[in-house]
Amino acid sequence: MLTSAHMMALTPVILVCATAVTVMLGIAWRRQHAATALVSILGLNLALVSLYLVYSAGDVSTPLLVFDRLSMLGMVLVLASTLACLTMSHAYLEGYPGRKEEFYLLMLCAAAGGMVLVASQHLATLFFGLELLSMPLYGMLAYTYRDKRSLESGIKYLVLSAAATAFLLFGMALLYSQSGRLDIAGLLAGLESSGGGAWALAGAGLMLVGLGFKLSIVPFHLWTPDVYQGGPGPAATFLATASKAAVFIVLLRIVMVAPAFHVEWLHTVLGGLALLTMIVGNLLALIQTNLKRLLGYSSIAHFGYLLVALVVADGLAVETAGIYLITYLMTTLGAFGVVTLLSSPYSGEDASALHHYRGLFWRRPYLAAVLTVCLLSLAGIPFTAGFIGKFYIVALGVEAGRWWLVGGIIAGSVIGLYYYLRVMVTLYLVEPGMRGRDAPDNWGMKAGGVVVLGLALLVIAFGVYPTPVIDWMSVLTSPVH
Amino acid sequence: MEQNATAIIAEHWAIGVFIVAVIALCAFMIGVSSLLGGRSQGRSKSLPFESGIVGAGSARQRFSVKFYMVAMLFVIFDIEAVFLFAWSVSVKEVGWAGFWGAAIFIFILLAGLVYDSRVGALEWAPKSRNPARKSGS
Amino acid sequence: MGVSMSYLPLTFLLPLLGTFILALSRGHMSERGSVWVGVSSVGLAALVTAFITIQFMSGDQSAQTLTLWTWISVGNFTPTIGLALDGLSITMLGIITGVGFLIHLFAAWYMRGEEGITRFFAYMNLFVFSMVLLVLGDNLMLLFLGWEGVGICSYLLIGYYYRDSANGAAAFKAFLITRIGDVFLAIGLFLIFAELGTLNIAAILEQAPAHWATGDSLVRWAALMFLGGALGKSAQLPLHTWLADAMAGPTPVSALIHAATMVTAGVYLIARMHGIFDLAPDVLHLVGVIGAATLLMAGFAALAQTDIKRILAYSTMSQIGYMFLALGVGAYDSAIFHLMTHAFFKALLFLSAGAVIVSCHHEQDMRKLGGLWRRLPLAYMGFIVGGAALSALPLVTAGFYSKDDILWQSLAADQKGLLLAGLVGALLTSLYTVRLIIGTFHGEMKSDHARNAEPGRGLQHGLPLILLAVLSTFIGAMIHPPLSGVLPASPGESTEAGHTALELIAAGTAIAGIALAAWLFLRKREALARLVSGGPGASLWTLWNQAWGFDLLFDRLLVRPFRILVFILRRDIIDALFGLVASITKGLNAGLTRTQTGRVRTYATSMVLGATVVLIFLAFGQ
Repeated sequence: MLTSAHMMALTPVILVCATAVTVMLGIAWRRQHAATALVSILGLNLALVSLYLVYSAGDVSTPLLVFDRLSMLGMVLVLASTLACLTMSHAYLEGYPGRKEEFYLLMLCAAAGGMVLVASQHLATLFFGLELLSMPLYGMLAYTYRDKRSLESGIKYLVLSAAATAFLLFGMALLYSQSGRLDIAGLLAGLESSGGGAWALAGAGLMLVGLGFKLSIVPFHLWTPDVYQGGPGPAATFLATASKAAVFIVLLRIVMVAPAFHVEWLHTVLGGLALLTMIVGNLLALIQTNLKRLLGYSSIAHFGYLLVALVVADGLAVETAGIYLITYLMTTLGAFGVVTLLSSPYSGEDASALHHYRGLFWRRPYLAAVLTVCLLSLAGIPFTAGFIGKFYIVALGVEAGRWWLVGGIIAGSVIGLYYYLRVMVTLYLVEPGMRGRDAPDNWGMKAGGVVVLGLALLVIAFGVYPTPVIDWMSVLTSPVH
Repeated sequence: MEQNATAIIAEHWAIGVFIVAVIALCAFMIGVSSLLGGRSQGRSKSLPFESGIVGAGSARQRFSVKFYMVAMLFVIFDIEAVFLFAWSVSVKEVGWAGFWGAAIFIFILLAGLVYDSRVGALEWAPKSRNPARKSGS
Repeated sequence: MGVSMSYLPLTFLLPLLGTFILALSRGHMSERGSVWVGVSSVGLAALVTAFITIQFMSGDQSAQTLTLWTWISVGNFTPTIGLALDGLSITMLGIITGVGFLIHLFAAWYMRGEEGITRFFAYMNLFVFSMVLLVLGDNLMLLFLGWEGVGICSYLLIGYYYRDSANGAAAFKAFLITRIGDVFLAIGLFLIFAELGTLNIAAILEQAPAHWATGDSLVRWAALMFLGGALGKSAQLPLHTWLADAMAGPTPVSALIHAATMVTAGVYLIARMHGIFDLAPDVLHLVGVIGAATLLMAGFAALAQTDIKRILAYSTMSQIGYMFLALGVGAYDSAIFHLMTHAFFKALLFLSAGAVIVSCHHEQDMRKLGGLWRRLPLAYMGFIVGGAALSALPLVTAGFYSKDDILWQSLAADQKGLLLAGLVGALLTSLYTVRLIIGTFHGEMKSDHARNAEPGRGLQHGLPLILLAVLSTFIGAMIHPPLSGVLPASPGESTEAGHTALELIAAGTAIAGIALAAWLFLRKREALARLVSGGPGASLWTLWNQAWGFDLLFDRLLVRPFRILVFILRRDIIDALFGLVASITKGLNAGLTRTQTGRVRTYATSMVLGATVVLIFLAFGQ
């Protein structure tokens, strides 16, 4: 039965859903772009604040959802990323000729889905959350549907995501058939009593395929560059940050708790996928000339690194995963944010070809500086956030003696450095007969500019003084239940 | 391992038999009919058979998107309404909490309906393209 | 932790803030605003330093540390970001912010009307930030960070007038050569960390004697690596060639970076790591020998220069040679004392040179100046006072006390050879100093630039010169760096035998040098000119003018063979091997790119295949 404690714990999710309904009714009443954005941002902020209250109230568990520290971490990440994406959407959609307001509605729904997903402790909520997260994304990706690539990216993601969902459901069905339960704790107990066996392992493998698709793990990664490139900036940003973070956290939860995932062979397979992912992701980015595609490949590689935490799956693994996820989110939001801002206000296809960025420093020094910081962080240069994350991952791999993975991380980083530097050099090249400023000069006044600048500062601050975040993370991830 | 493999075979041999049987049946049906069926060539033999009427025009006709819209909206609201059945059979047991839950659910559905009608999803023709009707009414 | 410690971070945060403000203004700031931000940030830092110094001196003067935070903590690798304040670092801090402030103030006059003044002050503030970090860091990592930071600022500021490609080349040269030293330093750091497991300076000094016996080969290597780093930064043989070219930067830069602070970082490093060098006596001796060799080499080179800034540059090398000599005989506090007085009088000389250069429309060739003493009295005064201190005129100048101390310490350490080099160097110093002053300020005016010289005016021009002039006299020598307890005792502390005699000899040498120079350059000018215009005199002049031809030597010995090697190795098998890695990577990239067909069916197929492989693996692992 629902108690007031349950209601209290559900407040953040309820607030986001209520904001979505409000926005929907608001659109029905009168179309007002700025007001819609404002209401959405207000709702998300309220949810963030309520999240703090929920956190201080302690762990709450319902049959379907669990509100422990890991869920709190996940919700904070999802909400913060969504806020950043929303802020950038405002600048982006200003120039969009069609209906602008529905984008916020979709994003709010996806955020609610992500929140449910990270808190799920039942296969039903897992599935529900995942679908609620993905469905609006199809719409968001195809939002600027008059642009062929956007439409293409939406359709591609829809079709392939449906295929992945089939795998996920099949895996769930197999697990259910072996245990007779759907709640994760009961499912585990059932598996233990029946001894697991081949079918349970197959179920786990198939679920891994389904979730691996969302995280674009090789060989389920092929959609990533096309979808990132085609989707409008804010949608691609959301896909790369909030969506991936939520899915990763749920995977982390399953892997950490489920004995079916503690079979050595599954870890070996996971390790193989991680190695493959980091190498292939980096290799694919090598001579890429489209920044959005490049960031897509880079995000594939980064999730390869992140998988190391899942492969090791003990000791500091959760803390490491949390730290890496935070650094990844900050950096990726910053990098995609710059791309989005440069494509704002919307005027056809996003400015993502590398030649758009030639000599950017001389036109828009702040944005170029932000992008430089983010690329440095993605490459893992010391005194940026990326270094701290990578350092933890490497330390974790070394401690667990997974030398192949450590070797893969190093090889991947070396390849990565090449293409990140390539983009950076482009930013500072002087073009003969270069155009002057190519975008509204007052971007700094706009909220999006403030967001990316703040993200860049955060990336540096976290690289220089990581202690608060690390402490926070070790508190947030200490007991995993 | 040896023991294990035997055990697996013992446990799952039926599935193997099933798969083999399915493939065999399909092969049998296609193979035997291709062997036994007669073949004849003719000008009209390759035309699609539509109850004796010769097909005309292209199969790729454009339908108005409204057909799909209405169909989708119907499915959505239909499925959502199914949830209410679950409530109706347990209305006494779930009490007021269930009532409020259902009320919020219905409210959200209604909000969706209002939204749909306001954005013109239920209009059969877009307003801007049908000035005649606008002036007529 | 006293009150003073909590203010300590301000000493570098204020210049950093200045850098940020200037850098973020994107050139929209007025010249006045840039000057205000640039000068006041360092000025405030100097005020904070003064406040901390007063607190420190009134306390028990013990070393204090302030741990700001731990950067990351994994295993036993826990690099902390911490500051250490002791007598040595407070001396350096005082020099950096105090002299730095005066130079910034002078720069406000020197750079007025220049293009990109905001950029200039942003770099200068960044330099002060890095340098303060270098001396305050309580671990070698932070020191290294500051070390690299000042290197970058030096590079940026030497190439400040980047439109002239020669300046860019000079900046490049400075960067590359100091980088050689930096590599040595980095290796030294790795060595120390591998052996002792820590980079904290206090911990290193504490653990080193227990870990290594005196003369252990590893500690000798570590000391050698640190020495290599110091040689590059402090422009000592054989890594000295960059400093003379570094004069391409604006003169305040030469004063701040290439005379008063950055180039003395090597001295600071060796003094800071004295515990390592004490365990490697032969390397310490090598420090002294290199110092002696450099001071002679640079002294002769300074005699044959015509550019007033180059004369000062070689003189700087020579004076740092004295400091190395002092370090080499174990007289660490004499080295730091000379570092301090040198900062005063060399900054004064450079700023006075800057005054001359600006007044004479950027003419800095001595052959085209002359007779300026009437027109530029303040600069003349600066040169006289600074030159007197440089040539260690007895009793009235700061330079006398510090240089005399060094000579006395080398006698007390029984290093007769080094002492002799020091005395010859003192004679040379007097010679080139007097030549510089006479050539610039006396005789007839040799060009229109000199005839039309306009004296500088205003507080920004006058105040730094006057204050530095005061500090260059015996008043400056009354500041005694609070080094006791930080650095080991000098050899000269136990005995006094022969001190007075040596003082007299040193004083005599300086005066004799000045007299000789005055006689030579005032009376025998024609004879000198004839001497250098042909025969062996001319060759000697050329040799000294080219600073013993080290540039040529390096070019022949290193650069050209390297180029030839590169040319030969262009299509080499080893190169192909490395190229193979790249081409394999590229090939893999091309192969993988082919999988990105853009077709949904391919993508779905790959998913299914992947799932199958995963399942097969799982089944076989069972």
